[in-house]
Amino acid sequence: MNARTPVRRRGRDGGRPGRGRVGVRDPFTLEIIKNALVAIGDEMFVALQRTSMSTIIYEVLDYATGLTDARGQLITQGNGVTLFLGTLSHAVRYTREKFPADLHPGDIIVTNDPYTGGGTHLSDVSLVMPIFYGDEIVAFAANKAHWTEVGGKDPGSWTTDATEVYQEGLQFPCVKLFDRGRPIESVVDLIRANVRLPEMTLGDMWAGVAALRVGDRRFRDLCDKYSVAVVKRAIDKLLVDGDTLTRLELRRLPPGQYAAEDFIDDDGIGHGPFPVRVRITVTSDEFHVDFTGTHAQVPGPVNCTMTALVSGVRATYLAITNPSNPVNDGAFRSLRITCPSRTIFSAERPAPVSTYWETMLYVADLIWKAMAGVVPDRLTAGHFLSVCGTIVAGAHPDTGELFLLVEPQAGGWGAGRHKDGENGLVCVGDGETYVIPVEVTETRYGVIVDQYGYHTDPGGAGTFRGGKGLVRDYRITAEEAYLTTTFGRHKFLPWGMAGGQPGSRNYVKVLHTDGREEIFGKTARYRLLKGEVARLITGTGGGYGPPSARPPEKVVEDVRNGYITAEQAEQEYGVRVDPKTFALGGTREPARA
Amino acid sequence: MRLASDIGGTFTDLVYLDEVTGRLGSAKTDTTPPTFERGVIDTIRKAAISERAVTFFVHGTTVIINALTERKGVRTGLITTRGFRDVLEIGRANRPDLYNLTYTKPTSFVPRALRLEVTERMTYKGEILVPLVDDEVVAAAAHLVGEQVDAIAVCFLHAYANPAHELRAVQIIRHRWPQIAVTASHEITREWREYERTSTTVLNSYVKPIAARYLDQLDHELTRNGVGGGRYVMQSSGGTATFAAAREAPIAMVESGPVAGVLGAVAIGRVVKETNLISLDIGGTTAKTSLIEQGEVKITTEYKIEWTRASAGYPIKIPVVDIVEIGAGGGSIAWIDEAGSLHVGPQSAGAMPGPACYSRGGSEPTVTDANVVAGRINPAYFLGGEIALDERRAREALQPIARHFGITVEEAALGVIRLANANMVNALKLVSVHRGYDPRDFTLVAFGGGGAMHAPALAEELRINRVLIPTNPAVFSAWGMLMTDLRYDLIWTSIRRTQKAVDDGLDRMWSTLEHQAREYFTQQSVASSRLVFQRFADMRYAGQEHTVKVPVPDGALTAAAIRQVEERFHALHEQRYTFRLPSAIEFVNFHLTTFGTVDKPRVPRLRPTPNGGGARRSKTTGGALKGRREVDFDARGRLLSAVYERSRLPSGAAVKGPAIIEEPAATTVLFPGHRATVDAYGNLLIEVRQ
Repeated sequence: MNARTPVRRRGRDGGRPGRGRVGVRDPFTLEIIKNALVAIGDEMFVALQRTSMSTIIYEVLDYATGLTDARGQLITQGNGVTLFLGTLSHAVRYTREKFPADLHPGDIIVTNDPYTGGGTHLSDVSLVMPIFYGDEIVAFAANKAHWTEVGGKDPGSWTTDATEVYQEGLQFPCVKLFDRGRPIESVVDLIRANVRLPEMTLGDMWAGVAALRVGDRRFRDLCDKYSVAVVKRAIDKLLVDGDTLTRLELRRLPPGQYAAEDFIDDDGIGHGPFPVRVRITVTSDEFHVDFTGTHAQVPGPVNCTMTALVSGVRATYLAITNPSNPVNDGAFRSLRITCPSRTIFSAERPAPVSTYWETMLYVADLIWKAMAGVVPDRLTAGHFLSVCGTIVAGAHPDTGELFLLVEPQAGGWGAGRHKDGENGLVCVGDGETYVIPVEVTETRYGVIVDQYGYHTDPGGAGTFRGGKGLVRDYRITAEEAYLTTTFGRHKFLPWGMAGGQPGSRNYVKVLHTDGREEIFGKTARYRLLKGEVARLITGTGGGYGPPSARPPEKVVEDVRNGYITAEQAEQEYGVRVDPKTFALGGTREPARA
Repeated sequence: MRLASDIGGTFTDLVYLDEVTGRLGSAKTDTTPPTFERGVIDTIRKAAISERAVTFFVHGTTVIINALTERKGVRTGLITTRGFRDVLEIGRANRPDLYNLTYTKPTSFVPRALRLEVTERMTYKGEILVPLVDDEVVAAAAHLVGEQVDAIAVCFLHAYANPAHELRAVQIIRHRWPQIAVTASHEITREWREYERTSTTVLNSYVKPIAARYLDQLDHELTRNGVGGGRYVMQSSGGTATFAAAREAPIAMVESGPVAGVLGAVAIGRVVKETNLISLDIGGTTAKTSLIEQGEVKITTEYKIEWTRASAGYPIKIPVVDIVEIGAGGGSIAWIDEAGSLHVGPQSAGAMPGPACYSRGGSEPTVTDANVVAGRINPAYFLGGEIALDERRAREALQPIARHFGITVEEAALGVIRLANANMVNALKLVSVHRGYDPRDFTLVAFGGGGAMHAPALAEELRINRVLIPTNPAVFSAWGMLMTDLRYDLIWTSIRRTQKAVDDGLDRMWSTLEHQAREYFTQQSVASSRLVFQRFADMRYAGQEHTVKVPVPDGALTAAAIRQVEERFHALHEQRYTFRLPSAIEFVNFHLTTFGTVDKPRVPRLRPTPNGGGARRSKTTGGALKGRREVDFDARGRLLSAVYERSRLPSGAAVKGPAIIEEPAATTVLFPGHRATVDAYGNLLIEVRQ
């Protein structure tokens, strides 16, 4: 269909002609436009997914799409992952600053600058498109997606041992990529020359462009139909509603000060652990989050920057207030964030940032931990808290072509006031994220998966039990392959709640053909030979309430289902279960740990 | 005599067509769980049909979907590849409700203790890496039988590439335990992705004994009552299957009910010579819509049950007519959120207590209440007067909305209608605009209790020029079933580049699939002269994951034919996603659809005016005019409108809006500028002037 379809214009004030009751004063029209805006966000989201070239986008859904108003306030966002929340507005604002008078219809700007323009790490690339109606910019379409390859020192671009951002890939400092609808070939050539899998990278670029064009077209359709003035009014209402709904919830929180602290394992190159802290002040009209006391930025690539910090805070704030509220900038007007500069949460150039997300997760988790006891119906005990990002790279045994497996792992979630933890779920940083099927993995990448299931590492005992972590084995079928992993919470366990036990840790265990075994959390380009196994093990979540209060029948069921062993039943819960018949053999006081 | 029986949650509907006289009739009784067949027989008795005259019986059923959603299937065990018993429970590990940190995953249909592993392994190429250990299959099945399962699902890794181990395993189990319902994954789907395939296999097993019992009893009762002719079940794919085929793959009946309306739209399209259609079925709780292009329904294999924004649901990898369903119907409740904004649905007042105006205890305002206040529904003629509606209660229910916004009750009613319409427009856009189709190229076919009431306004909104309201819109879905062919889909995953596909065994592959389809239909006693084949390929640019379904020509896949298919792919990709790429293209799935055509009745022409004194061929509307009343046409104001009785409108009659055309189970609302004509078959064709 045509990009622009001729339509009848309605009255100048935007209302339909009539008896004056359906003009801009009509509350229902604004409601309908609000819904239409959200629908546009959804459609952009699907367009990007369906056309992408990277598993990290079409399976993991490591991207976000959305619309902002002309000032860069987020109107609607389709999210695949939790922690891209709010990053789009930063990218749009940076674009507006840099191109105050030099944008044309069909222009597209590309940015991935982690320190200023809504960037997180270089792999997360934002595309921004001004939406024109007549001569006026009325909105922006934007997206941010994890491009699998943006160059840099290692295949897959992100790595655990970079020491400067320059090693982490190609930087796009907010530059034009399309001019009036046409790609700027010199920029495209530059990308093609600087990445390892140019077809994939440029495929992701086109997927992003498709999503922007969908947003542009639909937004202008909406203006055609209701007039710009009415659409703007609906946007204002959307933002005000977002604010109102959040404040209603904020007022239900008990005012006071809440605090938490934790430790990040290390920076991948030998430093650490690093303390991180939050102090939260809740009043009836503000939720103030202060990270003063958090460790300074570090030499390894676990630093996170302001954009990511804001996203981490916003995600948990939404979870605490009302997770089903619509996502727009209005919802965060009652939120204030303080963080000194140059901390591990607010790093500055040229600090390496390529595994920033592991640290951003701590931003979300600190607030979660501080508030868990305050809103126990919305927050559970701690979970495995790591994307457990994994890269396996090598030459495919059939084709000889470079394969690049880049994926997150799923793990155990914390138990809550009324529920056991969830088994095998992606971490809080991921969301509508699909782990890659075994059959797809074996077809595309030079590995065989020997097992994929739950493990019984001890941890997570409680009245409500922490959810199970997973074990996934990659046996290498290529002549050789290189493994990069960033498994956080390797040294500091998922926290228990209300007397529940902590969960278990995340780790990688390599099984060499000569019988050697090695265990670690982070590694870069670890060489594996044909037949060797990388065993990826994710943590079990924290428990809730004392284990002794778990009903014995539930413990028996857990043993029957193999979620825990008969020994664990006895040691952690004081419940004797016959491992063959699953008969309950009496209870006793749990052994002291 | 041809019968179509639609077994719903509350009512069992029968539509019958006398092929000799062309007479179409219907009957309705209560659904009679758990002996559903009784309801069917009851409707046949009620309609006073001669059982022996029946030549064709087809039925749609919610028995399967209900067994799934109410968890009333049988205790089921799973046997799978060693190391992978948790695949079913892990699912894809996604958290669709992103900011909800107490998200709860859907519970597995098979608990962990009933998921057993056996030693065996295929590679992705279908080569045997580790042979199946028969004894372990015996031990696992014996254990499950000891645990009192009634059904066993078998799903091995890469069975889509080579089902040898699955075949062996089910052979062993069926031989020893013939009483257990067994399903192997490759029998239902040959697509990759182990979780989705396991889920499909498990759900099929879970309902298999239920379906078998149900179909056998129905078959038995029909025979006992002397009902003759062939017996068929509606499938989610939009085709029908014989009872025997439906017994083996009952999961294919999961959307048995809703697809019938879409098929009805196709059939009515054939009658009026329209091939591009959008079907719209508005009931009490939901609105369902689907797009038909060039006379063909769209099929998806990404179907999930209980899948919402807040839940991952359960995937079922079978071909399902691509229907978008939203919570917007006559019973949808209007409510105000905490920020003071108005919403409509998805909660519904249902039939009990129903809209406030039913006077059955409902007090919340619904779309039906709003339509009563707007004068669009005649309170004295609802369901032909079966329920007298109370306009006063409708007004009372809408009062809080009026008060909240400081507007009149009439304005509040219009607001509710407008919001409900906007929701429906969004659903219609999902199947059209969002997939690259311009609604103006389509005719909107509206049915169900509320279709005729809302469709003209929706058409205007989407700039659709033509709306068709079929005769008997309330039982149109059942009528659609009478017009449906047998259908069998075979989908086979095999990824390869298009450039390398010439002389790559594809012709042999198609003939193998066709052979399989012939065998299937031979077993159902369908003559091969009745078979029609259609080929499709799911294609993508190399590197992409998601595919576009592309029609493939019959005959040898020559280089020229492949170029033609490639060009179709480029065009479809661009239509849907705004761009095409110079990249290599891949085939992913090969999809053969086989229709076993059945003789379809001729749609009768409208007989001359029934009450007008014999064969008066008048095209006037005078005899149908019942009176005039004030109707609110939103922006166009409250206008005095002519009210017609549909059954008295002769063919060729034309009605100009503003007007209302009433029939017992539906009301058509013609806006000023709309013009409805009655065609030779009794359909209302509405021209919507833009």
